[in-house]
Amino acid sequence: MLVIRNSSLRRILRVLIPFVAVPLAVLIGAYVFEDKMYAYVSLLITVLAIVLFISGFERRETGSRRMVIVVVMTVLAVVGRFIPIIKPVAAITVISGVFLGGESGFLVGAMTAVISNFFWGQGPWTPFQMFSWGMIGLFAGILSRYLKRSKPILYIYGAFAGVLFSLIMDVWTVLWYEDGFSWEPYLTAIASAAPMTILYAVSNIIFLVILFEPIGKKLERIRTVYGI
Amino acid sequence: MKPLEKYNPGVLFFYFLLLASIAMFAANPVMIATALMAMIAAASSYTRDGLGRACVFFFIIFVLTSLANPIFSHNGVTVLLVVNDNPITLEAVLYGVMTGVMIFSVLLLFRVFSALMTSDRLLCIFGRAFPKLGLLLAMTIRFVPLFGRQRRKIENTQKTLGLYKNENAIDTIKGKLAVMSAMTTWGLENGIVTADSMSARGYGVRRSRTSFSMYRFERSDAVLLVLVILSCTFIFFGIATDMLKTDFYPRMKLPPFTVYSVICYVLYAGLAFFPFAAKLRDRAHRAALDRVKMHGGSESSFGEKIRSMYQNETEERSTFGEQ
Amino acid sequence: MEVLRAENLNFVYPDGKQALTDISISLGEGEMMCVCGPTGSGKSTLLRLLKRELSPRGERSGSIYISGRRQEELGDREAATQVGFVMQRPDMQIVTDKVWHELAFGLENLGVGQGEIRRRVCEIAGYFGMEEWFDKSTDSLSGGQKQLLNLASVMVMQPRILILDEPVSQLDPIAASDFIATLGKLAREFGISIIAAEQRLEELVPVSDKLLAIKDGRIAAFGDTRECVERLVSDETFAPYMPAAARLFAKLADISKEFCDACGYGAAGKNASMPDSEITETGVHIKPGVEEKLCEEENPCTEGRKQKSRIPLSVGEGRRFLRDTKNIFEEEKCLTARSEGKYDSELCDARTEKTEGIRKDSKVGSAKESQNASRETALEFREVYLSYERTGKDVLRSLSLKVMKGEIFCIVGGNGAGKSTAVCAAAGLVRPYSGKIKVFGKNIRDYKGQELYRECVALLPQDVQTVFLTDDINGRHPYDLSGGEQQLAALDIVLATKPKLLLLDEPTKGLDVSLAESLCKKLKGLAAAGTTIVVVSHDVEFASAIADRCALLFNGEIVSVCESRAFFAGNYFYTTALNRLLR
Repeated sequence: MLVIRNSSLRRILRVLIPFVAVPLAVLIGAYVFEDKMYAYVSLLITVLAIVLFISGFERRETGSRRMVIVVVMTVLAVVGRFIPIIKPVAAITVISGVFLGGESGFLVGAMTAVISNFFWGQGPWTPFQMFSWGMIGLFAGILSRYLKRSKPILYIYGAFAGVLFSLIMDVWTVLWYEDGFSWEPYLTAIASAAPMTILYAVSNIIFLVILFEPIGKKLERIRTVYGI
Repeated sequence: MKPLEKYNPGVLFFYFLLLASIAMFAANPVMIATALMAMIAAASSYTRDGLGRACVFFFIIFVLTSLANPIFSHNGVTVLLVVNDNPITLEAVLYGVMTGVMIFSVLLLFRVFSALMTSDRLLCIFGRAFPKLGLLLAMTIRFVPLFGRQRRKIENTQKTLGLYKNENAIDTIKGKLAVMSAMTTWGLENGIVTADSMSARGYGVRRSRTSFSMYRFERSDAVLLVLVILSCTFIFFGIATDMLKTDFYPRMKLPPFTVYSVICYVLYAGLAFFPFAAKLRDRAHRAALDRVKMHGGSESSFGEKIRSMYQNETEERSTFGEQ
Repeated sequence: MEVLRAENLNFVYPDGKQALTDISISLGEGEMMCVCGPTGSGKSTLLRLLKRELSPRGERSGSIYISGRRQEELGDREAATQVGFVMQRPDMQIVTDKVWHELAFGLENLGVGQGEIRRRVCEIAGYFGMEEWFDKSTDSLSGGQKQLLNLASVMVMQPRILILDEPVSQLDPIAASDFIATLGKLAREFGISIIAAEQRLEELVPVSDKLLAIKDGRIAAFGDTRECVERLVSDETFAPYMPAAARLFAKLADISKEFCDACGYGAAGKNASMPDSEITETGVHIKPGVEEKLCEEENPCTEGRKQKSRIPLSVGEGRRFLRDTKNIFEEEKCLTARSEGKYDSELCDARTEKTEGIRKDSKVGSAKESQNASRETALEFREVYLSYERTGKDVLRSLSLKVMKGEIFCIVGGNGAGKSTAVCAAAGLVRPYSGKIKVFGKNIRDYKGQELYRECVALLPQDVQTVFLTDDINGRHPYDLSGGEQQLAALDIVLATKPKLLLLDEPTKGLDVSLAESLCKKLKGLAAAGTTIVVVSHDVEFASAIADRCALLFNGEIVSVCESRAFFAGNYFYTTALNRLLR
């Protein structure tokens, strides 16, 4: 696995990619290509996610193990998306972020979007899903200390993640059906998507309640036993 | 023309990308209608369940977008009716319908694209450019069916061990969650084996890994690529110079039929119907093969067999005679 | 040329457990080494230490040389390519989703170019005969194909040393022997040095040049295979691991020694003249001079053995050896001796089977059958047809069988014969489209909901990891247990449901000899207490040891069913190594 040895570069990348590069890619994708070049944008975001993930590596020899664990979590999320109505994707992403680090969380979220869309259909919405779920995982990693310590904060974060996801997806709705972004249709979209937003938030909380402890324990065990 | 599946995935990807972009940028009723017809033909011949259930969903989207525009947009001069002091105009309705058709046909195009771009084709494209991403995707794609199978196995075993013994909804949900938890453990613990297998085969030895693909770039791929690029450049030039542009507001105005625009329409129709044509040709070829098998195959009657053998022999003789 | 050498290797795990003590081994080019030892003896630790990338965490002392260079000095690339490693579980070692991609994986890691990868991948696929499934997805392969793919995708990197950690323990016997034959071919044709650890050595020992036996992290024997086998076959721990032919040889040697003693000729007296008279009290008629030959050849204590008297390792060698000594042992000797309880029962049972055994057994069988008729049926299949897909091939066709209460019933058969499907159908997990399955006289469809599983039917599946629902089994994590321990733990969980009918699918997969024995005892105890047990297995040795009755399943139907001993005496392929030896 490729390692970025320079720790300050790593730190810069960790901030730069999620907060500058990825939003920029989405915006450029939306405005310059008029949102129609979703393939390029999703490609670009994925690459950024990978670079971000790589920048999280400290020791090389754990590379393949960590990678497989990320794959396992992704597969869980992908399989979980087949559950009707309430989806555990965001919850699993949050758990990955908390226990494996923000970069891994980002990657789990982003990869889940790409892979599960092989079944649910690829389209211009793919990069937006990648971005939103990725960010949910990343923030979970950054806030992991608080999320691990206090359950209420965790559930609030889960609810917030559901709202965030919905808000970002509404941006897509507006960009896709209207030419360019404007506030009025955006607010309409938010209003019309309110039931979905609540559903997202609720299902995130439900799955965090159910999954956080058991999966967390398993991940902790893997980390200690196999030294990841 | 070879079957579409046999083309290089990169070329196919590029082709679909351009086809979709033209449909979206052109805003030209003729081209969008062409795209719609071509994509209905392609979707019904390439996707497994044809137009199927997904199309109902697409149709709903189509209806919604068609209706949404006249409700939000009140431009246009031909007022059809007034609702709550808001005029519904013919132009807005037409624009809505065109957008709806455009979205509908592009969604169909994605469906054909998804059916054609199997994971290994997509990996061929992504993998070349980003080997690490390619590997990650390949691994996930491998693990998904593996996990699905394991889930069923665990479920079956646990059923015999009395997991769902109370036979009510809460018990079922609890059971499912327990199965999911067991599956997580299984996946994580066995994932270590996969990781070891990767390291044992030199994963991480080099900073950059290559990405191998069985797909070659053949001459027919080059031909298709050149044709696609040429015709798309031609059409894009038309779009850029507003020669194909349709105005809706304040009054709908179709672009005039010029030599240039007609050529554009013909080129675009050629591009859009290419998948369907390739499929038809392939089917005809296969049907011909079946016929040969029926007449000359081992299942045919003895007399026919002798006759066909004899015919082959005479043909061979005649070719020898020519030499 | 020496390719691999380990000197005074010691290893301590972080928890303070001494895994290896003073291991020194060496391996030459093109040599094949077989590693054996009980579960937890340190086999895996040793093999993993030899592959740098997989070295476990812990304290290591001593040195390892690969092609004359210290392991630490090798570059990453060299370390990866020089030593190939194949593990136990075929499924989880596969990384990618397509066969060709999996073959290319190692070369991709090394950064080899497209053209070169294509050439090497295609070459190796041709060599291993993988053209048929080259384009398939790895998910659709059988277990044997998966393991072959794992081997091939290591071989494509052109290693000099190949290390295999129980490569065939998850495979059926036919796939296993194919795999081992392939290994032998690789060693011979490419001069690749091979180290393979395995629980069962029946197939592996005959093809290997060296043998390493480890017990409690120490070397119990190391050196030429035949010499080691000769030494170990009389060792209490290792004797059960040895091939049947070697064990038989050892037994014969013991007997011959007994003969010598009985005649007053011990090992020391072998040069004395042979008696011309018959040994009347045992009823053994020994021709003059024969006994001397016997003593010389078969007694392990005898020094200066001749070439032909070397210990046999394979069934073929064993048969040749038996043919040579046939005139020495006549049937009646054996029989008389048996009546006096003088000989090892295993040997004599096998010997007599051929002549009068079948006759007698058929009598016993019919007697049992009449006895069975009065007993209750626990499980009955009546002309069961089953297929997984609507238009697919029938997996079970016209399967009919009856299992009596309190009986241990074994179903043997090859891969894809429908064994697992049969037990799943008996457990109500799959439904036949025609025919009837009755459990304790009641149609399986009439069991409502979970009724069937309430202290009635239980199934130990092939993949025992599916049994573990919690992460805690008697205070230990199930995945911390070794394969064999997992098997037994899973059985305990299944037994906790107190089943009256216990269905076992390949219960000996991954078990070593001693664990298989304890499993055997446990099951026999259960059966004696009235539990009906149905076992499906590839493992004919186990089946012959445990079953009351056996059935051979082929292509979804039962082709023969009879009392266990007669069954294995009558079969040609599906029989124990001992039976094959004595046919």
